Amino acid sequence: MSEHTVVGQTVARVDAVEKVTGAAQYGADVHPPGMLYGKIVRSKHAHANILGIDTTEAEKLPGVKAIITQDDVPSGRRVFATDKVLYLGEPLAAVAATDPDVAEEAAELIKIDYEVLPVVQDVMEAIQPSAPRLHGDDTKDGPNRREIATQIRRLSRDKENDHSNEISKLESELDNYPDEVYYNISAESHSEAGDVEKGFAESDVVVEDTYVIPRVHQTYMEPHVSVASADSSGKITVWASTQGPFAIRSGIAGTLGIPLTQINVIGTTMGGGFGGRFGVIITHVPAVLLSQKTGRPVRVQMTREEEFTDGRPAPGCVIKLKTGATKDGHILARQALAFWDSGSVSGASIGSTIRVRGVYKIPNLKVDAYGVHTNKSGTAAYRAPGAPQAIFAGESQLDEIAERIGMDPVEFRLMNMREEGDPVPAGASEPKVGYKETLQAVADAAGWWDREAGENQGWGVAVGDWTNGCGPGGVYVSVHEDGSVRIFHGSMDITGTDTAISQIIAEILTVPYESVTIRRGDTDSAPYSTGSGGSVVTFTMGNTAKLAAEDAHQRVLELASERLNMNVDNLELRDGAVHVVSADPPKSISLGELAAYSLSTTGGPIVGKGSFARQPSTPALAAQIAKVEVDPGTGRTRVLKLVASQDVGFAINPMAVEGQIEGGTVQGYAWAMMEEMQYGDDGNINPGFVDYRVPTSADLPTVESVIVEVPAPNGPYGAKGVGEPPITPTLATMANAVKDAIGVRITELPIKPERVVDALKSNGH
Amino acid sequence: MAKHHVNLKVNGDEHDLLIEPRKTLLAVLRDTVGLTGTKEGCSTGDCGACTVIVDGKAVTSCMVLAVTASGKEITTIEGLASDGELHPVQQAFINTGGYQCGFCTPGFIMASKALIDENPDRSEEEFRHALGGNICRCTGYTKILEAVLKAAEEVSATA
Amino acid sequence: MKNFEFYEPTTLAEASRLFAQEHAQLLAGGTDIIIGMKALTEAPQSVISLQKIPGLAGITAEADGSISVGAMAKVREVELSPDIQQHHTALAEGAAEIGSIQIRNLATIGGNIAHASPAADTVAGLLVADAQVDIAGEDGERTVPINELFTGPGQTVLAPGEIITRFRLPSPTSGSHYIKHKIREVMDLAFIGVAAAVNLENGVITNARIGLAAVAPTPIRATEAENLLAGNELTPELLAQVGEAAAAAATPISDLRCSAEHRTEMVDVLTRRTLQTAVDRA
Repeated sequence: MSEHTVVGQTVARVDAVEKVTGAAQYGADVHPPGMLYGKIVRSKHAHANILGIDTTEAEKLPGVKAIITQDDVPSGRRVFATDKVLYLGEPLAAVAATDPDVAEEAAELIKIDYEVLPVVQDVMEAIQPSAPRLHGDDTKDGPNRREIATQIRRLSRDKENDHSNEISKLESELDNYPDEVYYNISAESHSEAGDVEKGFAESDVVVEDTYVIPRVHQTYMEPHVSVASADSSGKITVWASTQGPFAIRSGIAGTLGIPLTQINVIGTTMGGGFGGRFGVIITHVPAVLLSQKTGRPVRVQMTREEEFTDGRPAPGCVIKLKTGATKDGHILARQALAFWDSGSVSGASIGSTIRVRGVYKIPNLKVDAYGVHTNKSGTAAYRAPGAPQAIFAGESQLDEIAERIGMDPVEFRLMNMREEGDPVPAGASEPKVGYKETLQAVADAAGWWDREAGENQGWGVAVGDWTNGCGPGGVYVSVHEDGSVRIFHGSMDITGTDTAISQIIAEILTVPYESVTIRRGDTDSAPYSTGSGGSVVTFTMGNTAKLAAEDAHQRVLELASERLNMNVDNLELRDGAVHVVSADPPKSISLGELAAYSLSTTGGPIVGKGSFARQPSTPALAAQIAKVEVDPGTGRTRVLKLVASQDVGFAINPMAVEGQIEGGTVQGYAWAMMEEMQYGDDGNINPGFVDYRVPTSADLPTVESVIVEVPAPNGPYGAKGVGEPPITPTLATMANAVKDAIGVRITELPIKPERVVDALKSNGH
Repeated sequence: MAKHHVNLKVNGDEHDLLIEPRKTLLAVLRDTVGLTGTKEGCSTGDCGACTVIVDGKAVTSCMVLAVTASGKEITTIEGLASDGELHPVQQAFINTGGYQCGFCTPGFIMASKALIDENPDRSEEEFRHALGGNICRCTGYTKILEAVLKAAEEVSATA
Repeated sequence: MKNFEFYEPTTLAEASRLFAQEHAQLLAGGTDIIIGMKALTEAPQSVISLQKIPGLAGITAEADGSISVGAMAKVREVELSPDIQQHHTALAEGAAEIGSIQIRNLATIGGNIAHASPAADTVAGLLVADAQVDIAGEDGERTVPINELFTGPGQTVLAPGEIITRFRLPSPTSGSHYIKHKIREVMDLAFIGVAAAVNLENGVITNARIGLAAVAPTPIRATEAENLLAGNELTPELLAQVGEAAAAAATPISDLRCSAEHRTEMVDVLTRRTLQTAVDRA
């Protein structure tokens, strides 16, 4: 039995009724009086010089109240493109009108004069010297040995000054860079441990492959939306569908050059985020600008098509990966060279390439990663940003190694997994994480050890790791005269986090979960809270909530001590009342009575405050097993069984935790099997749900989730962030299952029918 | 272009409206009638978030011109609970954790209700197939199916 | 969406007259035209609803064994009609492949066909049912066999003002089947669609039809392949020949969904499968 009464129990979520009755207010449900409808005018070409923007016709349309371009951005910060567009859908202007259809018509009437330029969409083409340079000059070309060697020669020629330190530094850098020059590079990241060449030389088996992972969209069901209202005093209110209202506040302030005090951001119920709902420019800034210009509230809402052309999806990438192992199953070396498609701006999750390391002891590791510009929109986070891509490569290749040395894939992984105390980079050592427990749990639950497969059926396994983020947050708790507890904070609920916070506070104040009420404030009223992304909320806000509840708990004991005239050490709070320890007859006072007493005397309201910055987090592991059946005639794959385990530290609300595991796993399945944003010379060519395929219930079996609890030292009750890990292994799980079913290794996602048929053919079928 | 008189019967209430023919039922429900429980997820009939029940049939309201819905009985998510009692489908979604962000939930509940009204005795596989028009991005569908099967069972038992 | 004049005529003649005017579009179920208007790929000045015209809906089994399907019959009705399920299984299966139930409750079979998408899911089933298409226009009525209706993607033989009123499915076939090549189980558009329908006598195929969708500018019949079947028993060798012949009839394009080569290959694979099932059902 758990020693807890509320945490660790499945409870109905705090927002249950409003969500099943349609009462929950999402961004597009906000409709202040006099509201106008905004529409963003977008480039119709993927790469073009802009020769002119003519708004005359549009201005004449009845109902049009304002048209803005970059000229209307007083700060000069780039909101709209001016002389050049780099992707289809890039914003050029925005319109506000009395009716959404009128706004759309006006947007169509704005004449843009384009000079179309050559387009590059493929990262491997973009790095070639023949590719169009998106940013015009060679400053975006990757550093290379030749360049560094030239610098060394130049410095050595300077006999008047001593450059020996500089030269030796450059010489040591020389090895970090490849021989080739890469073009259109937006960012890079390099790391190395041990000596990979030596590791490969000592290996009995070396496998090398290139993995291609497509760009996918987070596909939150609620498209981006904001409603902005600028009043005559200059105060701006923004109702924003966002994961981080405070980030939006500072983003708007920074972009428009206005003080934070002039902006109030009200986070509306969020229709899914998955990392993609932090952007400031996308709708919030245009809405503010339009409202400032018209003096009326303005709603800017993206269509699903706009989401695909001008959302900030997850980057695709190409990863060349090489792994060496001994024939008895020890991984000796791994090397990765990755090119991430960052689109027209920098910012793809290239640093995540290091996750090819996985949770294994790999003594020699080298990773070189580049972000590459293409004619696409920029990218953003998507559930464990970068990890699904890197882990797809890493875990696919592990199976190839296991097969070549004749080891069971689960045993091979168990044998190589890091253990508590093992060294990890940056001088730390591995904490206690349930790597092996989690993998064993999924293997046991799925029936791996006595698995059976019919014709064209196969089983696949993979694991993925992720560590939750952490950030500052604040929570207030108050106890009312009826014994109820109120919580106030500023963090966006991301599918159940308000419930977890409520459970933690109910637990500490020993009241029923039902007597707790939680409210989120806007940025004008609530204490700062870090954004709801990176699986931070339960970790951060859970810890914050604990501090607040403990503060209130302390205050309650002090008041009881005064009221009962007893030393605090002789008092304990349980079942919603303060009891005198071992009093005979029993003596107690309820929280309600205490609150009322405090109000009517000198105590005042019972208020607890929690303020939290950060604590080190602990990695989490997700392990998954799929059983599939592939139709070799059509190449279609059907998943028959999908089992997902996860080390969650401690499940505060087990039903919600299962929901995170199931949902993340299915997103991973989708990335593996069907989702891909496709691009041509005109930009994104599948901007809708017909050709961008999100799985439906008909594509899937029940996802079986298995909760593993190896507590995190700093997590509330040991809890870890649970949102992100479950998407990380599924891509490889599916590819490994397909390989097991039909003997072909698919290294390019998604595993669509044509790809399977072609792979079978080239394999001699 | 002429506006049209439209009489919408929504959740038992009549609304006499003068609207442009290009307005969809979804737009009129949300912007004119003020019932925002019905959601717009794609506006191309591909996600099911805007599902309402018109004359007993579940339809995607983004694919209906409001002028063609005049005189028909329309039920939205707001009309499902009666006398403060949640509909069994709504209650089941709460009990099983069949929603997360909640944006697809109204459409899912309306589609499920229509299916259960038509025939509650379906297998999980049949429900999975029949609910394919509703996309949920959060749950992976497992707990939604659990909810729908539970509600169907309940309706079937009391029928 | 651009604005338009909206008409709800109550007679075919009135609908025909309105539809004959320039920049007019018909609204049947609406699920194609509303998408087009929202995308601004269609911007009609007038939209004429067929929903108030009596007699265009309904599915009726006639005394001679033929079935009459009103153009305004909902796709969902076609899918669930016991008569169609029994006698024209491929058509019912095709109907069930369209969109979601919510869409099929709106979409009509007439709209699915008049839209003339080569990938329409009901078209292969109608082709192998040898459906006759009744058409009404300002100058009276006429009937066109379904395989002569289409002239190109989005193009038909319909003259200005002409409206499809009814599909007549003669001489029930004894076994038929439709398979759609797709990625998702539901809600996908056909990468290709193949329908086959056969009549059998003592194990010998007396009559066979093969309909192909999304493999040519219009939906087509694979007549060479059909001719190989008549008068023969279905053997694995014959099946292979028929698959190849059907594939040879296909002239698909490559697009974002898949390559032309893949489509052609799938015609071969799925023709063999649909045919085998159709024969098994006969």
